[in-house]
Amino acid sequence: MQRGCPACPSQACEEVELGRSGTLWTWTVQHFPPPHPWTGNAREFVPFGVGYIELADGVRVESRLTENDPARLRIGMEMELVIETFFKNNEGEEVVTFAFRPVEG
Amino acid sequence: MNVSILGSGLYPFGRHEGVGPIEMGVAAANDALSDAGLGWSDIQFACAGSLEVLQPDTMIKHMGLTGIPFTTLYNGCATGGNLLLTAANAITAGQADVAIAVGMDKHPRGAFSVGDTLESIGLGQWYGETGLALNPQYFAMKTMRYMHDHGISEDCLNRVSAKAFRNGSLNERAWRRKQISEEEIAGSPMVCDPLRKYHFCSPSEGAVAVVLCRADIAARYTTSPVQLRADVFRTRRYGSFETLTPSTPVRWVPGPSVEASREAFEAAGVGPEDIDVIQLQDTEAGHEIMHMAECGFCADGEQEALVRDGETAIEGRLPVNTDGGLLANGEPIGASGLRQVHEVCLQLRGRAGAHQVPGSPRTGFTHVYGFPGVSCVTILTSS
Repeated sequence: MQRGCPACPSQACEEVELGRSGTLWTWTVQHFPPPHPWTGNAREFVPFGVGYIELADGVRVESRLTENDPARLRIGMEMELVIETFFKNNEGEEVVTFAFRPVEG
Repeated sequence: MNVSILGSGLYPFGRHEGVGPIEMGVAAANDALSDAGLGWSDIQFACAGSLEVLQPDTMIKHMGLTGIPFTTLYNGCATGGNLLLTAANAITAGQADVAIAVGMDKHPRGAFSVGDTLESIGLGQWYGETGLALNPQYFAMKTMRYMHDHGISEDCLNRVSAKAFRNGSLNERAWRRKQISEEEIAGSPMVCDPLRKYHFCSPSEGAVAVVLCRADIAARYTTSPVQLRADVFRTRRYGSFETLTPSTPVRWVPGPSVEASREAFEAAGVGPEDIDVIQLQDTEAGHEIMHMAECGFCADGEQEALVRDGETAIEGRLPVNTDGGLLANGEPIGASGLRQVHEVCLQLRGRAGAHQVPGSPRTGFTHVYGFPGVSCVTILTSS
């Protein structure tokens, strides 16, 4: 955890749990394999969505999106947190990270 | 600021097989000295900046080991602006009467990597491992939101790029000399929505040097000094939306480009309406559009009509990136900000040739922006 507050000189920071849903503040789709230190395999690259999700807690969180079709992403849509596998390591284990997906309906 | 620019030199940006960045820096420094009518022994303070060269001050062995103080610095894409400021500060502090600022770089092809570890830029390794931590994503997402909020069209992005390549075609020292039509730009591969291949600049190679002196002694050396009226360096505050930030508060404050511009106009005693030639950080077309408003040259959303009506072209009311900008020159990070200063000096001295702004421009503006939320703005005048 970061000790110093980025907004003021206070060193009295505490952990707060954030909500699991919010709205899509902005987005893009990554169309080329990222350079190092991305752990994916460039030969098997599939474009993926990236966005900032605005949470009710006063913060926008950058995240991978489960949706990579620009036609199905729009600013302001409802999004929810999921865990997704983004990579298999050399031992064949699935490595997971957080992502947001559009809320159906 | 009581500081004048006596001369500037540019080692053209592009790709130079077999030429090292130090060699380019030395060539640019010699060009700037020659332009100023001075020799290296006249220089009393030097500073140099680069991303790829660990110690650009090692260039001094090619210039002459004269014992002068030689500072190095690196502030991401704002390095050039801060190099000029550091040299100017040495003069205003009384440390030197004549100083030189040199920027140089030589980047590998492809998108900039954030380096071996994200720890070295204060971020967690997970952020890059998962495919985040890419500047193009940020540029795209800030542009996407801005277009949504202020009614900027994809046509506007295409027109900005076409204008940059048109200006590059007029600048014999630009990297990209071929005009590219709006149609070809609109049909180029998508990189990060809404930004396509021809909306982005590329990392490149090159160097620029600028020789400065105390304003009251400039007449000893030249009949056409350029006056440095303001040089302001700012970092972000909590609440501005910046590149490589895993989270950002909903609370909004103006970004470092806004603050640096405001302070520079105040220091120079002029307003945006007084500027005759403008150089803005156009890492991609979206940021040229947004920086026009952030630096005070128009209101949010007015860019759509200004760009459509050709007002940002060389012959327009607000000539922006007259040498082709980053889009037509690429970005050797350490040198890029000083390229803008070099271009404004050419314009104010009437030496820009085919890309000269008509009507003898007298006041110029340069602006760089980069990670981690830093901006540098200069205002220059011809007298």
